[in-house]
Amino acid sequence: MALALIILGVSSCTKNFEKYNTNPNALSVNQTIAILPTAFGPLEQAIYSNYQVAQNLSADAYSGYMMSPDPFRGGINNLNYALVDGWNQAGFNDQYNLVMGPVSKIAATGARTKAPDLWAVALLIRVEAMDRVTDRFGPIPYSKAGTAITSIPYDDQKTVYQQFFNQIDTAASNLQAYIAANPGKTPLAGSDLIFNGDYTKWLKFANSLRLRLAMRIVKADAATAQQQAEKAMSAVGGLLTTPADDAAIAQSGGRSNDLWVVTDPYDDNRMGASFQSYLTGYNDPRLPVYCKPATDALFAGQYIGIRIGSNILSRPDYDTYASLNTATTFTQTAPQLIMTAAEMWFLKAEAALRGWAGAGDAQTNYETGINTSMQQWGVSAGSYISNAVSKPVAYTDPKNNVNNSPALSSITIKWDPLAGNEQKLERIITQKWLAIFPDGQEAWADYRRTGYPKLFTVVNNNSNNTINTDIQIRRLPFPTSEYNNNGAAVKNALTLLGGADNGGTRLWWDVNKANF
Amino acid sequence: MKLTLVLLISGMLHVSASTYAQNINLSVKEVSLKKVFKELRQQSGYNFLYNSKMLNETVPVSLSVKNMPINEVLDKCFNNQPVTYLIVDNTVIVKRKTTVSASAAQQITISGTVNDVKGDPIPGVNVKLKGTQQGTATDLQGNYKLNAPSGDGTLVFSFIGFETKEVAINNNTHINVTLKQQSAALTEIVVTALGVRRSEKSLTYSTQQVDGDELTRVKSDNLMNALNGKVAGLSISPSASGVGGSVKVILRGNRSANGNNQPLYVIDGVPITNGSNANMQPTGTFGGSPDGGDGISNLNPEDIANISVLKGAAAAALYGSQAQNGVILITTKKGRAGKAQISYSSTFAVDHVAYEPQFQNSYGQTKSGAIDSWGAGISGSQDNLKNFFQNGTNWTNAVNLSAGSEVAQTYFSYANTHAKGVEPGNVLDRNNFNLRETAKFFDNKLTVDANVNYINQKINNSPSFGLYLNPLTGLYLFPRGLDINTYKNNYLFDTQTGFARQNWFTNDNLQQNPWWIINRDPNFGTRNRVLLNGSVRYDVASWLSIQVRGNVDRTNDNYEQDRYSGTNSLFNSNGNGFLNLSDQTVEQKYGDLIANFTVPMHSPFKINGLIGGSITDNITRGLSLNGNLSTPDFFTPGNVIASLGGTTSNTTSNTVGIAPNHSQLQALFGNANFSYKDWLYLTVTGRNDWSSNLAFTPNVSYFYPSVGLSAILNQALNLPKVINYAKVRGTYAEVGNTIPPYLTSVQNTQNAAGQLVFNTAAAFRTLKPERTKSIELGTDLRFLDNRLNFSFTYYKTNTRDQYFPVQPITASLFSTGYVNAGNVQNSGIEFILGYEVVRGKDFTWNTAINGAKNTNKIIDVDSKDGINSFVLTGNGNNNYESHLAVGGSYGDIYGYSLTRDSQGRIVLNGSGTAANPYTPQANKTFSLLGNPNPKFQLGWSNSFDYKNFSLSFLIDGKFGGQVLSMTQAILDQNGVSKVTGDARNAGGVKVNGVDKSGNAVSTVNAQAWYQTIGGRDGITDQYIYSATVIRLREAAIGYTMPISNSAFKSVKVSITGRNLVYFHKKAPFDPELTMSTGNGLSGVDVFNQPATRNVGLNLNVSF
Repeated sequence: MALALIILGVSSCTKNFEKYNTNPNALSVNQTIAILPTAFGPLEQAIYSNYQVAQNLSADAYSGYMMSPDPFRGGINNLNYALVDGWNQAGFNDQYNLVMGPVSKIAATGARTKAPDLWAVALLIRVEAMDRVTDRFGPIPYSKAGTAITSIPYDDQKTVYQQFFNQIDTAASNLQAYIAANPGKTPLAGSDLIFNGDYTKWLKFANSLRLRLAMRIVKADAATAQQQAEKAMSAVGGLLTTPADDAAIAQSGGRSNDLWVVTDPYDDNRMGASFQSYLTGYNDPRLPVYCKPATDALFAGQYIGIRIGSNILSRPDYDTYASLNTATTFTQTAPQLIMTAAEMWFLKAEAALRGWAGAGDAQTNYETGINTSMQQWGVSAGSYISNAVSKPVAYTDPKNNVNNSPALSSITIKWDPLAGNEQKLERIITQKWLAIFPDGQEAWADYRRTGYPKLFTVVNNNSNNTINTDIQIRRLPFPTSEYNNNGAAVKNALTLLGGADNGGTRLWWDVNKANF
Repeated sequence: MKLTLVLLISGMLHVSASTYAQNINLSVKEVSLKKVFKELRQQSGYNFLYNSKMLNETVPVSLSVKNMPINEVLDKCFNNQPVTYLIVDNTVIVKRKTTVSASAAQQITISGTVNDVKGDPIPGVNVKLKGTQQGTATDLQGNYKLNAPSGDGTLVFSFIGFETKEVAINNNTHINVTLKQQSAALTEIVVTALGVRRSEKSLTYSTQQVDGDELTRVKSDNLMNALNGKVAGLSISPSASGVGGSVKVILRGNRSANGNNQPLYVIDGVPITNGSNANMQPTGTFGGSPDGGDGISNLNPEDIANISVLKGAAAAALYGSQAQNGVILITTKKGRAGKAQISYSSTFAVDHVAYEPQFQNSYGQTKSGAIDSWGAGISGSQDNLKNFFQNGTNWTNAVNLSAGSEVAQTYFSYANTHAKGVEPGNVLDRNNFNLRETAKFFDNKLTVDANVNYINQKINNSPSFGLYLNPLTGLYLFPRGLDINTYKNNYLFDTQTGFARQNWFTNDNLQQNPWWIINRDPNFGTRNRVLLNGSVRYDVASWLSIQVRGNVDRTNDNYEQDRYSGTNSLFNSNGNGFLNLSDQTVEQKYGDLIANFTVPMHSPFKINGLIGGSITDNITRGLSLNGNLSTPDFFTPGNVIASLGGTTSNTTSNTVGIAPNHSQLQALFGNANFSYKDWLYLTVTGRNDWSSNLAFTPNVSYFYPSVGLSAILNQALNLPKVINYAKVRGTYAEVGNTIPPYLTSVQNTQNAAGQLVFNTAAAFRTLKPERTKSIELGTDLRFLDNRLNFSFTYYKTNTRDQYFPVQPITASLFSTGYVNAGNVQNSGIEFILGYEVVRGKDFTWNTAINGAKNTNKIIDVDSKDGINSFVLTGNGNNNYESHLAVGGSYGDIYGYSLTRDSQGRIVLNGSGTAANPYTPQANKTFSLLGNPNPKFQLGWSNSFDYKNFSLSFLIDGKFGGQVLSMTQAILDQNGVSKVTGDARNAGGVKVNGVDKSGNAVSTVNAQAWYQTIGGRDGITDQYIYSATVIRLREAAIGYTMPISNSAFKSVKVSITGRNLVYFHKKAPFDPELTMSTGNGLSGVDVFNQPATRNVGLNLNVSF
């Protein structure tokens, strides 16, 4: 009898178990969906997660823009090609943990069909973030990500790019449909730190991202590059056209501008010698906007940067070199750019050079690119675009002449319609490089693809001969955590990479051949 | 108790049973009483208990009755016989008739009650007037009444299995007696799972019981410390956390990687909680969070009648999941029938630090303002520690009252503890109230037992562990030759604001002014705990009783830490001060319904057992808040700067709800005991649990069985006389364990800015509960008139399907995953050897040795997923890490080691010049350096009684194992330790080294050496020490005052000592102390408060 009662009691009581085992301090499924838009701000901020080790101490230096005065790890580190696994790992893991993971969770809420507009934005953020990862490492786990816990295969980079294009297709068509059906509606307003929910700008961003990625693969798959670029240039919604369209992540929630953080509080970031060589050589009006002069007693007031790979023994030696303008440009609250209208004009200039449909005139695009950049940074272009004289200048390190170098290029600013395609390309990419600052990630990709602008090599190369000083670094090695945890897959990825897992191996789109 | 006794008597006499009838029809002529009994038994169903010898003196009976009540029939039968009778329940006890004296007028009548030491009445005790044939026996309630010719005789109380006691009448008419069970008697009753009392010989597994006096003889502020060294297989590590701190209790080794490894605590059959306060145990070597005391430390040792330790899974199988690490069963005192009795005890004890680090006195501060002491020679340095450490004191006063009638009994107690730690400001105040009522109704068929406990405890300035916010770092590292006294009372600058307010010679987050921390980073912990227990038992029939029990255990902890402005910026980032507040309530409700049965059968086989069900429901709720202050040093929640949301570390504060917890466990269980002729016993148990923490998985239910067999060989075989008792036993048992709550359904959260934060943990969906399988074999032997006893147990447990959080590969998109894996094996032996060396009238000497050896082996972590190691404690960039790795054992210490060449020589960098001295190199990957768990433990206790004096002591040893002193490493790095001074005096450190060019090097500059090997991230293997420690753990000398005819019944005074002498200790700290009572941080000392030596004075008075 008693036993029967107990059994009855037990079987009826276990009904509440799901209620008991639901955390009252966490959100229910419905609450999650209700506040889904609020997840987009952190998602966007994650693009620049761990900025210092994920980008600043690699791409920002490899692009010639910046250099650190800090002798990290006894002065043996990424900046002289002794690649630091722990740093580069952040540039891999964070985008999976903070972008891919949450986006898969957004998918799990049913957003693909229930909120196709939100899904479109999520896809664009994911492509933007993961492009930065594949362009660092090459093959990455992408199509199979999230399908297992212990082993996930890598995709070759061609497959990754193909998926990027497909996902941009989905995003663009979702946005087109949503804008047509709900003109002026902004469900992401207040949450979206890039366009504050303006879907017409997101559509421009989708098209622009397509154009950027298309041009990236021009040497590896010219047909797809042309096809995707032409699609982008004729797409509904258009490209980023004026600085008002620029995509930048606004600061929120106590987050500070990463360049401000690494330059000011960390005191770990200075102007690069290559950047100095071009900006000072051209007497570029953007120079005081981008940088602030040296404070060293020897050369105070001069714009003298640090050459990559300089032998830095202690921080005070190079602390006083020219730095970034954190007072008025890269302030604590300044938004962080991810793509600009100026970049699009230079991409179109290159597309025109290649004779692609819808690109327009190369010279017009080139000059509009320069003017758009000047406008973006609030300076007057003056006679800049007609300057056919100024050239990059030599670099002289006032403290260590081992670092000195003559100017590597004699390219001028003014468009020369009679020049050959190669010179035209150098001119376009050099000006593009000056315009898209401080996006070192994109600039390093352009350098690897085109060889422009011509950048100073590392003074010291600690890569154990895995990286040729003159050819410069082409990629970052896979993190050892992948070897430890995803060993079989990463070994397979070496076949996809087609070379040794070091900084000297070229990526799929980085084909060692002439630009034309 | 009653049931057991009747069974016991029946073993020696004679018993039979059938149904009961009211009235008797009988017609006999000249038949023996024995035959009459047989007839009456058949008709009435009453049992008859008698000694056949006694019946030899009786005369035949002739009788003819019809429909007569049995007592009248019996009266007739016993008329004119030399024996008489007593009816107890349905049993007729035949006893010798008391001789009636002729001079009845001068006689006195003496009455009283006979109890056992637990306060339970003993029926059937023979009470005799010494030197006469006059005597009687106690009734069911243990009461007796006896006529004596005068008031100057002596009463003799005897009962099988108990020590015979003689009491002088001294004209008293009321004499209550307590009989002690014979120390090694066959009748030992032990408390087993669910509070069921069983005779020891029927148990198929090993338990060990410790009496209340053992716990209160040498008191400690946490009663579990009093078990240290006394129970084979029980390992106790006190936390280095001052007064009121927790203890880590491990039975037969650690087994769970991620779950709890401590035993279940059960009071009077009902589980209680043992959580520490909201401020959890530290998880890393930086420490920083003080210990708030565990649940068991709250209890008043004076309330405890005895503690039974159920070591193995078999013993604990009926408690299920919570008991897979064993059970500590606590039986509390209850009121006794008879005259009210009041006891008072008072203890005053003094604590002082048992050891201090050794400092050098020859070299001063490196340079002015430097934090280290690698400077020029000085002549002597003062003892800065004596300015800081104080004598701790512990003053405990306890009073209890016991009174009651035959129907209802009351026990009330109050205890007050006021203790001061050896660190200034560390104060414990505790008040314990306990009221217990027991009563019987309806012919003793209904038993009601209720108990209310209220505990109020305050602990101020519980010392922090580790490197952060710990006064000992600044105290120990203070540059040699300087006088710390200047900072003692002037720890703050009144005129300053912000960080500058603190008066200290350096700004370093690893050390602050010790008195600043004591006075300006204080912490306060308050606990209010209510423990309500109730139980009702109804004896439905002689073979069936039903019991309902329940308890509510509700603990509210309030914790506050105030960090004033002036505290180092790491702990107070805006310079205005920082408040850390938490308020947590843990509530456990438990209820069970159990039917106990004895199958009525007339055969050499007997069956008894129980079936039942229980529900345990745990809920944790609370709030915590911490953050920088707006107005400096205004410590109130409203003054904490509101959160800034976002994803970066720039968030300035943090207000969160305490991690909630709601777990419910429902169970059905059953147990059957079969015995054959009282020498062969078979026990079978089964339990099925339903755990709410497994909701959302395919199966919330899991079953586990146990089976055990024991044989009493001396009853079955003809063993030599010298063997009094020989038992062999063996069991197999499984116990399952559930997982923590909220892991089976992944829920998202939001951050302080209201932004959705996705939970990227993988759901624990299809995994199984953890399971421990154990076997246990053992024997219990007694020789030489029970004076020598020996018990031996072998066990092996394997814990499989453990729940592990794993870090899945990055591209899985999961931040955390869970797997079921692992196989942690513990195997070992335990033994107890006891000998009553002298059993004299005035002098007795008892000695006992207990020992245990446990071998822990990690057979598998998660090989199926390619995971062979699990980190118990991460390194946090320091030189200590603890892993659970295949081939290793639980708690293994990993660290850096010195680089040596193939000949074992130390490889040195540098050229040996002053500018570029030789320095050793570390292998900068972590390697296995040792394991802190003892290989073998031994405890040796002795007690001597000579007339009114008693002396006892306990020596115990923990042998084997290695521990790490990060304290020493940091003292060496800073050049304050004695070894660094000695090395400098000797011109350097003598090494067997080799430089880069292959030249042998024999001396390395002391500073270069110690600054390389020392420090928190130095070369760990240079700071690994043997954990072997042998100590005089307890000693007590007592004197019982001979008192007659006064208000006092007894007065006893004693002098006690705890942790008095280290006979052997190689480590620079007490290896037994632990930084955390959790699973990690074992065997590492990071500026832990030293162990203390304790001397006390006890007074016990009863009225």
